[in-house]
Amino acid sequence: MLTKKQKRNNWILTVVLLIVSLLFLFPVIWMLANSFKPDAAITADMNSMAAFIPPALNGNFFENYVSVLTNTGFVRYMCNTLFYAAILIVLGVIVNGLAGYALAKINFPFRERWLLIIMLLMIVPMETIITIHFLIIAKLGLLNTVLGYVLPMIVNPFNIFLFRQVFLGLPDDVYEAAQLDHCGPVKYFFTMVLPMSKSVVATVSVFTFLNVWNDYLWPSLVFTSSDLLTAQIGLNAITSNDNTTTGQTLAVITMVTIPVIIIYSLFSKQIVEGVISTGSKEG
Amino acid sequence: MSFIEFKNICKKYAGNDKNSVTDFNLDIEEKEFIAFVGPSGCGKSTTLRMIAGFEEITSGDLFIDGKRVNEVAPADRGISMVFQNYALYPHMTVEKNISYGLKNMKVPADEIKKKVDWAIDILGLEEYRYRKPKNLSGGQRQRVALGRAIVKDQKVFLMDEPLSNLDAKLRVSMRNEISKLHRNLGSTTIYVTHDQVEAMTMADRIVIMKDGVIQQVGKPMDLYEHPVNKFVAGFIGSPQMNFYDVKIDGRNLIFKDGNKIELPEAIAKRIAGYSEVIMGIRGEDIKFDTTNLDVYGSHQKAVIDNTEIMGNENNLYFDFGGSVTIARVSKYEVSQVGDEVEFTFMPHKMHFFDKETEQVIGAE
Amino acid sequence: MKKRTESIMGMAFFGPALVLLTIFLFLPMILTLIFSFTDFFALNPGLTHFVGLDNYIQIFKDDVFSQAFFNTVKFVIIIVPLQGIGALVMALLINKVTHCKKYFKVAFFVPVVMSLAVVSTLWIQIYSPEGIMNAILSFFGIDAQPFINSASQALPSIAIMSAWQGMGYQMIIFLGGIQAINPALYEAAEMDHATPWQKFKDITLPELKPLCVFVLITITIGAFRMLVQPMVMTGGGPSNSTYTVVYDIYETGTVNWEIGLASTMAIVFAFFVMILTVIQTIATRDKEDQNVNKKAKKK
Repeated sequence: MLTKKQKRNNWILTVVLLIVSLLFLFPVIWMLANSFKPDAAITADMNSMAAFIPPALNGNFFENYVSVLTNTGFVRYMCNTLFYAAILIVLGVIVNGLAGYALAKINFPFRERWLLIIMLLMIVPMETIITIHFLIIAKLGLLNTVLGYVLPMIVNPFNIFLFRQVFLGLPDDVYEAAQLDHCGPVKYFFTMVLPMSKSVVATVSVFTFLNVWNDYLWPSLVFTSSDLLTAQIGLNAITSNDNTTTGQTLAVITMVTIPVIIIYSLFSKQIVEGVISTGSKEG
Repeated sequence: MSFIEFKNICKKYAGNDKNSVTDFNLDIEEKEFIAFVGPSGCGKSTTLRMIAGFEEITSGDLFIDGKRVNEVAPADRGISMVFQNYALYPHMTVEKNISYGLKNMKVPADEIKKKVDWAIDILGLEEYRYRKPKNLSGGQRQRVALGRAIVKDQKVFLMDEPLSNLDAKLRVSMRNEISKLHRNLGSTTIYVTHDQVEAMTMADRIVIMKDGVIQQVGKPMDLYEHPVNKFVAGFIGSPQMNFYDVKIDGRNLIFKDGNKIELPEAIAKRIAGYSEVIMGIRGEDIKFDTTNLDVYGSHQKAVIDNTEIMGNENNLYFDFGGSVTIARVSKYEVSQVGDEVEFTFMPHKMHFFDKETEQVIGAE
Repeated sequence: MKKRTESIMGMAFFGPALVLLTIFLFLPMILTLIFSFTDFFALNPGLTHFVGLDNYIQIFKDDVFSQAFFNTVKFVIIIVPLQGIGALVMALLINKVTHCKKYFKVAFFVPVVMSLAVVSTLWIQIYSPEGIMNAILSFFGIDAQPFINSASQALPSIAIMSAWQGMGYQMIIFLGGIQAINPALYEAAEMDHATPWQKFKDITLPELKPLCVFVLITITIGAFRMLVQPMVMTGGGPSNSTYTVVYDIYETGTVNWEIGLASTMAIVFAFFVMILTVIQTIATRDKEDQNVNKKAKKK
């Protein structure tokens, strides 16, 4: 039972937090509102509340967006990134999932030792070996190729571990029942294990997507050809061009952000689960 | 040759110094319903899983339908199985669960449909056909698991404690259904349970196991009437058989508390030569109706200290012979706590076991 | 299952991952270690010599590397309390709030899903001399600040931005931890006439302590690895004031192609980060022990 005083306090807290959240998000609100303005209006509005309000709807409302989409390779960069993300989600789920399943359910030599190694690999800072990745990919003649970009990103010790933890909880008798139903191990993995573990597959997929979409360092090393650039590198190429206006810059970064916001709103449950699992994985 | 044959089968898990199953020998006839029963850890499930092929056989030979199957993959042994936790495929509907194996066996689609329709029909699952397991009750899940097993037309049916997750009432009705199903399909069934009531009510023959060793194999009533050792005697039957450590003095059994029972000559002969034995007697073989008392000789007296009223019959608890005795009487023989009663043990229903080996003595 | 088939199956399942792990983790780690003792120059690999500990000695004498190191430490010192306390306060408030809870969770998490490149690009505009940040400051009567254009303010500016970007992540972790606290504890405290402050001090904080350690170290490790923000915003300037260790490794390796030297830096840096991770593991293992103790006490 809530007392009257508690009810009033709840409302006060809500209003306070609402104001805090608006202050917190002011950069994002400013970005959105001004991505629809020409630079003159952005400067003019800067010292009033108008800085946080989009302009009235008119014929030029989407001008910044239209000019970015028509005058730069931006659409192409977005599509490239979506394509890479799709490949890496599929390959990542298969490769890391198979490994996680082996570590969880199949009794093969040195299984415990492999598990320990995977856990140790989780702490290696990737930035420190990215130069060597570059050298290896260069040696393989795969610079400026999709394959060269994708190969080092497929395997992920953290995802292997996450899959392993979830697969550990799968009942063994279902595997035995499937054996009697003439379902071999590989078929079992794809038609039973993955569908039974939709939640972790979704979590890994979403994090892979966010990772690929937001990655900056690796694509900036592998890709020099503008046909292959990812959205983040393309964004940097566009915004560092002196001819790009502030409004256009804001339009570009808004567009780069839209897919992740969509993904987040669709899969916020998986994202929150994934985040919390990093907090409690030790416990 | 029998349909399923176990020859000196042993199972030893790596890292264990004791066998989980030791020297298991058994012949199972075609269409027979066999129950493996015993306390948990007795090796009954392990044995079942060796038949299925989920556990490697450490030594010995297993034949199914005349063929040695030690190295045959589970799917190729001609068996189907119902698991304790049902093991349904959680992301598939009832229909898909039942048809999955047939699809993998490349059975033609129209035949699959016919078989699935038949299974769904006899198990009464029509209403739930397109539901997923999580939307089914325990009993319904059990039926799906049965359906999945019966559509495959396998000759051997393995069931691993299939009823242990159901509530008491449902268990009784499923017991009945499984028995009927077995009569209709006629497939050889091996049924593992820890519940002796299930074994007694359903099985043609029962295999009682303890610590990985077969104790006795026989028809339910044989086991009940003629247990070969104290373990079987105590395991089969509820309430449990009453056991007493007794000394023998001529024709007299002398109980720990000094009470004496004089045995008829014929019975006394069976234990001649022993000075101490364990005497066991079932609750229903303790008689209270005064008209018959004289027929059996020695009367005893005791004070009832607890009663269990079941309705159809009652259990009476009292101290006798140095241990708690449970007698089973008809619903017409009402006694109250505190009543002093007179009773007698039916001498020819007594079982005698060696004090050291606990094996039966002097069985007819 | 037969042992042999199971072994083969296990290796078949683990194999693809193992091949990739070998090429892209084990091999690079070994190469980094080997290169760190050489003067390997990627543009002229033929002239590689074994130089012993020369690289290690050189980087400790190198002014730029030591400046990068101190910049990184400074960045860590600013961002850790900012982001950690910010996340905790937000989590506590959102846990208490009864209306629009879902909106708040989303609102504070939005910057987390935005990429570092996007956030950095956006904040270049926000921090620009005539930008919105200075407009807001002047509204409160504060003089315009140079932010990322001055050697003294650039690093703190980037730290504030990074804390803003990353805070939501730890907030979610804290929220998970707060919600995992047994509500009976608060009910018991209620019976004992505890004030809200006492409840926070005597129940919430002690229960969250292990999680706090975890979060602080996670932020620390993340902060040590900071690179994209200065790369996009300042190029490490002005006058190297935002040049970080990882930036130095990256430039030495992939701009100057001095792989030997870059490897040495990477080894030193990885050593540092791994020590932190080990501390984290030990700190969170304490949490497990505590839980065990708690359970034992209950019995």
